[in-house]
Amino acid sequence: MDKELIYLDHAAATPMDARVLAVMQPYFSDCFYNPSSPYEPAVKVRNDYDKAKHSLAVSIGAKPGEIIMTAGATESINLAFNGINGHVVVANIEHHAVLNCAKRCVHTIIESDERGFISAEAVKSAIKPETQLVSVALANNELGTVQPLREIAQVVKSEREARLIRGDKTPIYLHSDASQGVGQLDINVARLGVDMLTLNSGKIYGPKQVGLLWLASHVRLQPLIVGGGQERGFRSGTENVAGVIGFAKALELVVEHRKHETERLAELRDGLQQFLTEAFPKTIISGHSRHRLAGHLHISFPGLDGERLIFLLEDKGVLVSTGSACAANKGTRSHVLTAIGLSPAVADGSIRITLGHLSTTENIKRAGEIIADVIRREYQRVSK
Amino acid sequence: MTKVYVGMSGGVDSSLSAALLVEQGYDVTGVYMKNWTQDLPGMKCPWADDLADAKRVAVKLGIDFKVFDFENEYKHKVVDYMIEEYKNGRTPNPDIMCNQEVKFKLFLEAAIDDGADMIATGHYARVSRDIVPVPSERLRAGTDKGPGVLSASGCRCSEETDTQSLVGGQANPSIDGLAPTGQLMQAVDSNKDQTYFLYRVTGEALGRTLFPIGEFNKPDVRKMAAERGLSTAAKKDSQGICFVGQVGIRDFLSIYVDQKPGEIIDKKSGKVLGHHDGAIFYTLGQRHGLELGGGLPYYVVGKDMDKNEVYVTTDLNDGTLWKNTINLADVHWINQAPVVGNYQIRVRHRAPLIDAALSYDGDNVVLNLQNPERAVAPGQSVVIYDGDICLGGGIII
Repeated sequence: MDKELIYLDHAAATPMDARVLAVMQPYFSDCFYNPSSPYEPAVKVRNDYDKAKHSLAVSIGAKPGEIIMTAGATESINLAFNGINGHVVVANIEHHAVLNCAKRCVHTIIESDERGFISAEAVKSAIKPETQLVSVALANNELGTVQPLREIAQVVKSEREARLIRGDKTPIYLHSDASQGVGQLDINVARLGVDMLTLNSGKIYGPKQVGLLWLASHVRLQPLIVGGGQERGFRSGTENVAGVIGFAKALELVVEHRKHETERLAELRDGLQQFLTEAFPKTIISGHSRHRLAGHLHISFPGLDGERLIFLLEDKGVLVSTGSACAANKGTRSHVLTAIGLSPAVADGSIRITLGHLSTTENIKRAGEIIADVIRREYQRVSK
Repeated sequence: MTKVYVGMSGGVDSSLSAALLVEQGYDVTGVYMKNWTQDLPGMKCPWADDLADAKRVAVKLGIDFKVFDFENEYKHKVVDYMIEEYKNGRTPNPDIMCNQEVKFKLFLEAAIDDGADMIATGHYARVSRDIVPVPSERLRAGTDKGPGVLSASGCRCSEETDTQSLVGGQANPSIDGLAPTGQLMQAVDSNKDQTYFLYRVTGEALGRTLFPIGEFNKPDVRKMAAERGLSTAAKKDSQGICFVGQVGIRDFLSIYVDQKPGEIIDKKSGKVLGHHDGAIFYTLGQRHGLELGGGLPYYVVGKDMDKNEVYVTTDLNDGTLWKNTINLADVHWINQAPVVGNYQIRVRHRAPLIDAALSYDGDNVVLNLQNPERAVAPGQSVVIYDGDICLGGGIII
């Protein structure tokens, strides 16, 4: 079918920016050399790779030597947890990558509030003398709620200082998966106060299966993948030169346009939210009202079936999701929605709309009309 | 309107079944039956995609969609049964158990409890029945523009073939015009016919069952699904035992049964030819997987579960490989037991029908064949037909 699709699932995947693709292209063919090889053309590839890593570091206010390139956020998260042999603290709304890593350690799972907000106090009361890692995503992927990372960082920092005074050498780190927030939030590692940061190229109009883990210089970890000792021995394997160069360009671009794009998306999202809540007064918006990613709209139509809505909307050319793409379609309720205490009737009737580069004033207006039409019909169907 | 709950597996057959029922004017609800699946490390749960496919089609058709969870019952009735049978040295057929215990029992009961008048599945089979199963309010409504009463009930096939007189046994009288018994008939597509898997279903259950695609050939089913824009039109047919999924039966069993080395013995010479890792993994008549090295192929002609020994031969004329007589226990008849006489039998799914003389030995059935038949393993089913009518069958002892 040749209908024009309206893509409203930017939190799941983003289309690669043409400028990103352009800078990657040569490294698939002409510049194919192994960056570790000694001859001149390979040395040039090595220099380009290092430049890209330098650019990535600059974009997040870090030093190039502190970045480890990985094959995506899930690997970065796994690496961040590798070598932790003490207690870890995570929240119940974290992505499964974080939750499943935490479950391999002695762990405490703290509860977020009903907006998906994780308070610094909750983190503080969960930290024990043997806690080595706290992991909090910068923004929740389902709700878009942005966490008070700086306050949480203060809690971790105080704990570290207290241990120093006690002469306790147990390290404690704060890791944050910032994959969802990069395009819209400040991700300067010093300002955030984190010790480790995960980023994902595939969420910011770069290639998929490319990510990074930034480590502050005092962090001690174990590699997941050993071999030829690339990435300072933390991640062996021939470098994904094209991917990393694409990632660097993608990050550069989103940082450059962050302010304008954030304002644009917030305005579009607010308009769509207003349109739908006015048309359907029983609608419930989840997530934090102020601390929320600009492109995120998590919306519930109580009594309807969100999965059904996805298929109906797809049939009309509008692509949305329920929760994270990994959780959708498994026939199970999202752990995030359960965690924030949504009743089953509200949770099951929800969809996640995430705006991004492909969103325009025109297509968001049309999407709103299509969504309203589908919702109206479904309410009619279930009430008959 | 007659309320039909159609089992939707996410495949093309049940998808088209649902679509046809909607077109015929039924009040249709799609149901995905969640059965038990083995969680295998590192594998995404295999049913999630099927559930999504089924739901996508239901939404497209504008029908209600429900999930019935039969996980515990399925594990208990089908999976445990299968493992137990293997442990006893037999080769069971879980698909037959699934139809008997789950689809045409649990699903039927749950659907009726939920307000359905009938169920439907995407099996390649047909039902013929005497009494039109239409609820009384529909009878009163008279000539609504819903489905014609004949096609609605699947009576078309009994009209065409007029089979009622062939078996003597007539359907039970209906209760409130709703509970006739049905007769199981082979599908039009003889290549796809699934009556072999359905022989342990009851006549009462069939009286409440529709098989919307039993009249069509598989290629036409795909074509009709594509014409209707159903997303499952080109989906690959599922293979093998549903819950075993991508792993083979051998890998599946080895999760539940300890490997126990034993000897592979030449039946004729008594010589030890090699070793196996458990007699449970071998099936009578099996040729492959003996790993005995070159030369003529070896066939399994017997096993001793207590001694954990497997007996093989290269002699294709070995008496245990060919049978003139088949004895069946645990016999099930869909309606009445047939009288002693000549019938046709099928020894495995899609095998051609062969002639056999049926007689009884107490509760067991004895089948005498005109020509010796390649042996079928104990635990497998033999299904008995009278022409197009599937009468029932039993389990080889």
